[in-house]
Amino acid sequence: MTVQSSTQASGGAQDVRPVIEARDLGIEFIRNRKRRLSLREMLFTGRSSSPQGTFWALKGVSFDVRPGEAVGLIGANGCGKSTLLRLIAGVMLPDTGSVEVRQGVAPLIELTGGFLGDLTARDNIYLTAGLHGLSREQVEERFDEIVDFAEVRDRLDTPFRHYSSGMQVRLGFAVVTTLDEPIILVDEVLAVGDRAFRQKCYKRMEELIGHGRTLLFVSHSENDLKRFCNRGIYLRHGEVVADGDLEASFKAYVKDSDKGSQK
Amino acid sequence: MLMLDRGRELVERRSILRLLVVRDLKVRYSSSALGYLWTIIDPLMMSAVYWLVFGFVFKAKDRGLDPYIVFLVIGVLAWQWFNAGVVDTTRALQQEAKLVRSTNLPREIWVLKIVGAKGVEFVLSLPVVGLFMVIQDRPPTWNALWCVPLAIVMQTVLISGIGLALASMAVLVTDLTRVVRILLRVMFYLTPVLYSVHILEKAFDVDGITKIVALNPMAGIIDLYRRAAFPDTQTPWHVVGIGSVVTVVIFFLGASIFRRLEPAVLKEL
Repeated sequence: MTVQSSTQASGGAQDVRPVIEARDLGIEFIRNRKRRLSLREMLFTGRSSSPQGTFWALKGVSFDVRPGEAVGLIGANGCGKSTLLRLIAGVMLPDTGSVEVRQGVAPLIELTGGFLGDLTARDNIYLTAGLHGLSREQVEERFDEIVDFAEVRDRLDTPFRHYSSGMQVRLGFAVVTTLDEPIILVDEVLAVGDRAFRQKCYKRMEELIGHGRTLLFVSHSENDLKRFCNRGIYLRHGEVVADGDLEASFKAYVKDSDKGSQK
Repeated sequence: MLMLDRGRELVERRSILRLLVVRDLKVRYSSSALGYLWTIIDPLMMSAVYWLVFGFVFKAKDRGLDPYIVFLVIGVLAWQWFNAGVVDTTRALQQEAKLVRSTNLPREIWVLKIVGAKGVEFVLSLPVVGLFMVIQDRPPTWNALWCVPLAIVMQTVLISGIGLALASMAVLVTDLTRVVRILLRVMFYLTPVLYSVHILEKAFDVDGITKIVALNPMAGIIDLYRRAAFPDTQTPWHVVGIGSVVTVVIFFLGASIFRRLEPAVLKEL
């Protein structure tokens, strides 16, 4: 694995500045997800009628990620993995602490979020790639690559809403993975698509990591984690329990979840 | 300081802002066969109705300046931009929730792109005013060269300020959208769209009535547009002056409300 050696060459030297620096990150949510007030409540009682109560989705999370590292985030549902990814992507803001991200980020979160149903796939590719910072010329250069990867050449001028959901995700994946950003955030997106496309995604991901990109990866699949990541951060109830070698972190997670299921 | 940072970031991303404006216009014009006509049909129909009601049914003498139809079309088009801008920016973040959640852009961009798209539609509708001025034999004055651009800038800043405040609040307060609609309808009649500011001086025997009206920045903005066609307007200049001060205040207020609510809004989307 040439990937590994190049990763360690850059990550091994201790003086390399981390690309992601999280310090004491915390974010607090309203427990029952009804923060919204109706106007009536605001005028007459000044507070929401639903019971109060908050919880910290993340608390005191600190870690560094160096360039070229591939980090898997491990943990049960609702432990804060996706929230952490969102904080790093800058699409949510922490209540305490800070996260500093020193390089550009390609977020594979909500892949189809940028697409508009009424526009054709062609228009959508230009728009979404543009939103992520590519210029028109850069998109033109990569257009064929995107289209071929997503296998949508014969439907380029079909409105996006007529695409099947699988095709929509394929197009989204194709666009975001052609971005040049050195940091890639992946949130469970590999679970979609048919078998053939999944294989293609794996290949693309391995290529990206091979080029020395930094990866943060959320998944419940042990295989995927072991395939891509060399470091694992295990989160439990929003706190970092284990951070280190992927195998070790994953073992800690398995041990915990076995204990839970025996109760 | 923080606001300056935000401003600089937005300037750096101006190509993305342009992209979003173009996207909005594309969606609007690709989803309907009549396209551009929709932009002008609505205000034209409303102008025609007001013209009939106030020009012929009531035969109102003190309605505004002659030719009344030119006077009306200018006011109604400007109000249309304001109205559509405020209504749409109120829903700005919710409507693009998926994008807001998946792209790391300065969040103000989602409000500003609506102001921009509606502004482009407004500018595209200006030829209609020109047409009416030709028909009514009322050539534009030299004033138009600076009045109209200044008014457009003021209105852009005003809608941005109101939009930033409403967009963030609407995510946290569920029924704000409805309240906004009602308020806008009331404001329409309180703003000198169908009538002229100086008529209020005659209608109400209140000292400084024009200064009170001027607190509504749209009064000054619409008056500025009208100066392009009506150099004989009797509206005092302080209406525009007060209006521009209020506009700037509203903008900074809106921008700071947006910043304050941003973390909570992002959790809620």
